[in-house]
Parts: sequence; C-alpha cells; structure tokens
Amino acid sequence: MAQTEAVKRRMELEAPERFMPVIDASLCKRCRKCVNECSYRALDFVDGNVRPAGGCVACGRCINVCPAHCIEIRQIPSQFPPHANFNERVRRAIMSQASTGGVLLTSCGTDIAYPVMFDEMVLDAAQVTNPAIDPLREVVETRTYVGGRKGRLRVNEKGPPYLDEDPGPIIAMDMPIMIGHISLGSVSYNAQKALFMAAKELNILAGSGEGGLHRDFLPYAKNVVSEIASGRFGVTGDYLKSTAAVEIKIGQGAKPGHGGHLPGEKVSAMISQTRMIPLGTDAISPYPHHDIYSIEDLQQLISVVKESVEYKVPVGVKIAAVHNVGAIASGIVRAGADFITIDGFRGGTGSTPRIIRDHVGLPIEVAISVVDQRLTKEGLRNRVTVFAGGSIRSSADMIKAIALGADAVMVCTAALVAMGCRVCQQCHRGMCSWGIATQREELASRLNPEVASARVVRLFRSWNEELKEILGAMGIDSVESLVGNRDRLRYFGPNSKIAEIMGVKHVGEGWG
Amino acid sequence: MKDMLEPENIANIPSHIDAELLDSVDVERFGASRPPGLSYQMGGCGIAGCIDLTGGRISGGVIARMLETMGERENGLGAGYACYGLFPEHRDDYCMQFFFDHETAKAEVEELLKGLGTITKDEKVFTQRVKSMKPPFPLVWRYFFRPNNKLEWRGRSDLSNDDFIVQLVMHINSELEGALCVSSGKDMAVFKGNGYSYEISKFYDLDRYSGQMWISHSRFPTNSPAWWGGAHPLSILDWAVCHNGEITSYGVNRKFVEMAGYRCSVLTDTEVVTYIWDLLVRKHRLPITAAAFAMAPWYHDDINRLDAESARLARWLRITYKEALLNGPFSIIVGKRQPEVTMITLADRKKLRPLLCGLSPDRKVAYAASEECAVRVVSPNAETWTPNAGSPMVAMAGRGVLRTGNELPFQGGV
Repeated sequence: MAQTEAVKRRMELEAPERFMPVIDASLCKRCRKCVNECSYRALDFVDGNVRPAGGCVACGRCINVCPAHCIEIRQIPSQFPPHANFNERVRRAIMSQASTGGVLLTSCGTDIAYPVMFDEMVLDAAQVTNPAIDPLREVVETRTYVGGRKGRLRVNEKGPPYLDEDPGPIIAMDMPIMIGHISLGSVSYNAQKALFMAAKELNILAGSGEGGLHRDFLPYAKNVVSEIASGRFGVTGDYLKSTAAVEIKIGQGAKPGHGGHLPGEKVSAMISQTRMIPLGTDAISPYPHHDIYSIEDLQQLISVVKESVEYKVPVGVKIAAVHNVGAIASGIVRAGADFITIDGFRGGTGSTPRIIRDHVGLPIEVAISVVDQRLTKEGLRNRVTVFAGGSIRSSADMIKAIALGADAVMVCTAALVAMGCRVCQQCHRGMCSWGIATQREELASRLNPEVASARVVRLFRSWNEELKEILGAMGIDSVESLVGNRDRLRYFGPNSKIAEIMGVKHVGEGWG
Repeated sequence: MKDMLEPENIANIPSHIDAELLDSVDVERFGASRPPGLSYQMGGCGIAGCIDLTGGRISGGVIARMLETMGERENGLGAGYACYGLFPEHRDDYCMQFFFDHETAKAEVEELLKGLGTITKDEKVFTQRVKSMKPPFPLVWRYFFRPNNKLEWRGRSDLSNDDFIVQLVMHINSELEGALCVSSGKDMAVFKGNGYSYEISKFYDLDRYSGQMWISHSRFPTNSPAWWGGAHPLSILDWAVCHNGEITSYGVNRKFVEMAGYRCSVLTDTEVVTYIWDLLVRKHRLPITAAAFAMAPWYHDDINRLDAESARLARWLRITYKEALLNGPFSIIVGKRQPEVTMITLADRKKLRPLLCGLSPDRKVAYAASEECAVRVVSPNAETWTPNAGSPMVAMAGRGVLRTGNELPFQGGV
C-alpha cells in the first residue's frame, strides 16, 4: 500500500515499544484466546504461533485469559541513550507531539513520582493511659452523615426535649467512602451498573458523573449523587429530584481549569441518548459554567438547584484543589453548599490533557488540612460535610485523609482496579480490554456487573474493617472523632514546612 | 512570694503514703504560667463530689476525706476542690480567683478589672505553708467583680455579662503572662494546686469553708508537667469540671469550642469539656440530658430502639454535635450554680472509667466518686449505685436527685 511521505516520516520516528508480550511457545496451546481478547491488536497469530504485533499497553488482559499461564509482559529496557534531564518520558512526549502536532491526551491520575504525603505520616495508638478497643468485641462506628448542618440544635426548653422536624436533608452512609463521579460515557454501562450496585449494597453514595442517569439506573438513585457540570449533559429536573444528593461540579483534580472531555469514539447511541448529544461527537464541557463567573453566581445556582429539588436533598459543590483552596472553600460554604468535595491533583480521569494532569493543582493531603483549618478558623467547619478525593489508594490513605480533616473520602481508581482496571492510562482511547472504559459492545460485555460489583463491595468492606481496627487502636469508637484530629498524626517526611502547613506535628513530638 | 505564706504548718501525711517516696518525683514545677512547649496534658485521676440536697452546708473536711481516701489514684502532681454556695453575701458578683506568679501580673489584672467594672471586694485567699509541698507557690487572690453597665469588649457591645466574663477570662489566661484566672463564677470558687490532695486541702485549710456542694479531683498525670494551672477542677463562669480520663478526640473537641469563640489556654481535655458544657447548656440552651447525650451518645444502632421522637432528637444531636462527642475513657463530675446548685456526673459510653453515686440514708446528701470507699468513708450506710454508661446523674440543691443515671436518654426532668 502506498504511503505518503508524511506517514513514512512518522513511521520512521515512531518511539520504540515500551512493553513486549512474551509467549512461552513450549507451553502455548495455540488457542488464540489472547489474540482475540487483545483490544489493542498487540498480538497476532502467524505461522502457528502467537507473536507480538506492537502497541502493547501492558493492560494484562492476555495474561488473565491465557489457559496455559504462558504469557508474560516485559517492560522493555529503555532504548534511549541515558540522560537524566532529557529523560525517556520527556523525549517520548517530544516525539509524540512532533508526530501529531496536538495537545497530548492521557487518562488516570498523574504517573509522575511526586512525593505522597500520605506515605509520610504515621498514626497514633492508645497505650496504658487509655484503652485500645477491639472492634471484633466492641462497637466501633463508621456511619457517616452527609449534608449541611446548622451548627446548633434548637430544642424546647420546657418538658421532655423533642424536635418538631428534621432540621434539613441528611444522608447516612455506612462507611466514610463515596464512589466518585465516574460517568456513563467514560465507562461502560456495565461498569457504572457495577459501581451503583456496590454503592447500594454497601449503603454508601456513588457519583453519576456528568452524563446524566441512564433510566435503567433509577433503582439505584437513592445511592447516587447527581452531577451538574458545565456541559449540563443529561440534567433534567426529574434527574436531580430522583437522586440522593446533587453536586455542582466546578472542577476536577486531574484537570483543574478544564471541563469534562468525552472523545467522540465513546459517544455511542446509548451515550448520545443519556447525555442528549449527537452520536459520535466529542462531548466537551465548557471550562467554566457559563452561568458561574463568580462566587455570587455560584450562590445563585445553589439556590436555584435547592429550589428545584424542593430542599429535599443536600446540594454540594465539587472543586479541584488549587492553591487558594481554603478561601474558595470558605466562599462555597457561605454560598450555601451542604457539602463540598475537594479533588486533589493526583486524581484520575477518563481523558485529560497530559500537561494539566501532570502539572496543575494541589496535593489532596495539603488541600484537606488547609480547608479544614480555614473553615474551623471561620467557625464554618460544623456547617458542611467535606469529601476529599484525588488518589485515595488504600484504607491508610482514607484514614489519614479523615484525620487531616475530611468527613469522608471519594474513591474512583481503586474501585476500578477492583473491577479489573490495570491503570494502563488508555481510557481516552475507548479500547479498554477489561470492558470498563469503553463503549464498544463486544468489550463492555466482558465485564459482568454482578462479579465486578461483588469485588468493589469486598474491597470497601475490607477498608472499613481496617478503619475500625485503626480507630480501635487509637481508642476511638466512632469515626467522627477522627475527623480533623490532626493530633493523632505525625509527619515522617523530609520537609517539616509541609508538616507545619498541614498542622501536623513531627514524629517524636509528644503531647506536650 | 515568701511574704504571702502563713506560718509553717506541716501536713499529717496519711499512713498509706511512704514519706520517702515523696521526694522521688523530680519534675519541673510551674505556677500560674503555662509550662513552655505544653500543648496538651493527660492523665488518670480520682474524682469525688458531694451536694446537700436540702440547701444545707457541707464542711470542706468532708470532701477532703472523700478524695484523700482514694490515695492510689494520685501521684502528687495536682489536686483541687470547687465549692458552691460559698459567698452568700457576694452572690451577685463574679468571684474571680487568680494564681499570680509575680506582683506585676497582679497589678496588670487589677488595672484591667478596674477599667472594665467594679471590684466590690478583693482579698488574699488564705493559704498556709505545707512542708512537703515544693515551690513555686503562686499567690492566690480573689476579686468580687461586677462588670460595667455599658460594657464593651473590643468594640463589641452586644455581649451578655456572662459572655463578657468568658472573653475576659480567655484574654487574661492567654495574654497576661504570670496570671491565671482559675475560677470566675458567682458564689463559687476553685481551690487547687500542685500537690497531693491532702496537701492541697491543708494548703487552703478547707476546714474553714463550707458550702452547698463540693466537687474535687486528684491527679495521676502520666507525661505532663507539675503545673498549678493544670490542676482540676477546670472552671469557667459557674461551671467546674473534675475529670478522670483521656479524651482521644481532643483535637476535634478543641476545634468545636474554638469555633464558638473559646480560647484554650490550659490545654487539657478537661478545659475543653468545661467549655462544651458552657456552650451546649448556657449558649445553645440544651437540656442537661440532651447535652450529655451529645457528649456520650448511644450507638447509631441502639438509637433505633428508642421511641420515634427520642430517636429523631438523638440522631440530630449526633449529627449536629458530632464534634462534641467525647471519645475515649472518662468519668466526670460537673458543678453548676444556675438555676440552682447542681451536680452532674457522666461516664463515657463504654464506661471505661469508674463512676459511682450515693445517697445518704437520710436522703439529704448525694455523693459521686471514682470508688465506693470515698462514699463509705463519710457515709458508711449510704445507698450507692452505678449510673449507666453515658447517662448523667443529676442532683440539684432543693430538688433532690432528679436523675440517677439509670434512665433512658432525655428522661428525668432536666
């Protein structure tokens, strides 16, 4: 086939492969299952043998389906001459941009090895002067309420105390975990169904993402937080009223200052219907909401949304963690938000410009404590529920996030990993071999919602048990007594300035 | 400060204390000033209280015997007593009792008070030398104070007298070096210091006082300094709290009171407990049972067993005041004077620290203590009982025991 000069030139300068599937021919049964399952066409069957065909992303699907356990994916050693400054990552980006001339897209959270402050903090435990609590024998509570609070309860002063009515809408979750906003569109129908099923079984919340709610998912609406993002995809009055809470999405940790981006490849007939957009078109949300250019505009939108849901469900705001996050959070609480979600810069996404994902925003550890301290200083912390997300990878991250000042955490990537995701950072291509981040029917059908949901349920149940273990070890029998209890954290990293900003003492410092 | 001390008076060391051991605790000691670097202190303790339900008076010797009996619960690094119904002739003035480390601090406080109101009377609180006690010995002084009619605090003229006093005490305790206001309520005072319970009762010669109610505390601090200001009871306005325990949620509780404008200067969990009582009952007007429930609530699952109305209240107390939940082991005795002199006891919801209540056979005097021996030593035939975990006992002068602590939440007429 004739190739143009441009294509030839590009081919010649294509960056070398990074991964190589290696098949042990002596064990291979020649069943070709791996070839058929590889959505990236990185395997071929030639002359009676499975051969690598290039383009492997190390998604691991072939390893998983191989009945002979004879596939191994090797990371190919760098083929670039060593250079610490113009490292391989830098050179690959240059080559890619020289070939495409565009903004590089990527997905998942940043893979740059920024310091993770979660890993630089240790927790306290009870010894002698207070007793540790065994969660298997004693009650240790992890129920978490979500919604606005008045800061004060007005009870009649004469006679037995009582309340006439609930002071406002509130939601109880059985554990301080919310599955974050993973939209239908970024992930498949089966993937979102699995997440909603898990949320319902766990009695926690899950975000709808900015794609509206598929009508099949109405049975899960009481566990769903609907999202109003700048594109307003799928937003109708009935949609908002049907769900447990409404969240106005201003920003996302993986792409602060950017709107949502669903590549046209993923806008199938179903997505087109749910989002109410034409088939196959890129669904690109405006960067700001075009009716919110200021905090007072946000206040008006909050009021409008509260009116439209008749004050029956909490209304919150999600922001990306940016440098001035404390003041912004304070403004949002004053504007009437019942909850606020802060998304740190390591957070995931189904598609984002790599430049933004890797270089913009604030780590969630710092953002949580800055917001908690600011809201406390202004006497507002007991008016609002604070969610924190942006790479909560384990129960340890969750516990430290809560101790830093979050009421609950928002988790996305870990839930997807539980379902099969290998974090290969190819979501934006829509070819997910695990049937998660794709709209191709033949791929999506690989994900069994029941199986995937059970895995998510087990993951979060185990996190919750680990939370109870830690609480018990600290002599705390209810998770609310950990929220913002920075006294029980110590910093164990290289930069004591960070510790000072987070309001966390250094290891070795006692109570006084 | 030698001149303020009375002639020498050697305490009789109770037989169960090995006199040789008394010298073995070699720690740095502090008076009114906060020890440098102190950010939090904790410890185990003994607590005791007694109240005359008929409005009669109880001598200081009674409470001293109750507390001293529980000698194993203290290690000589702090003890204290609060007495209510102490100054009938000054019952409408705030009795502000101070520790001063030096005369400068005293002069500064006096100048401040004179600018903000009238000192109707001031006097040195009687103290006497106790040989076994070690310096420093802060000067203890008492002012009966009446704020100006048109009072203003930092440009704010909307404060009630009580709020004004709270702000004033917070200001003095956090800003004025060498001065610490240890109690500021009407018709009550706190007598505390660094020493064993028997040393402190001797130091103040408690036998010379009698009141409607006494609450008391002896300390067994584990890792905190010997500081006069850190001894219990901790007090603001007419609230005084004696506390045996270690609040594992201190960081959260502290944020809660600081959001409401309290400034923590003593940095004990007990200080925070005191402010929470003031905030919930005086400022937010919660009934005692509701405030106690906020601090030591039922478990979520148990709340469902309550009747619908109580369950709604319980749920919303937990939601609204989740930062007020006192986690970890504690038992506390709380004193207040408004509307009547009242003793409240409360233990944590797992009952990890001991608490026992008692009533004299003639039903005139109610008791509370860490251990039964403290009640038996003053009332051998008292009826005693243990309140439920997280359930307050409430005894009020003139009205009797309104709540034993064995009722369901929100029951008990308070």
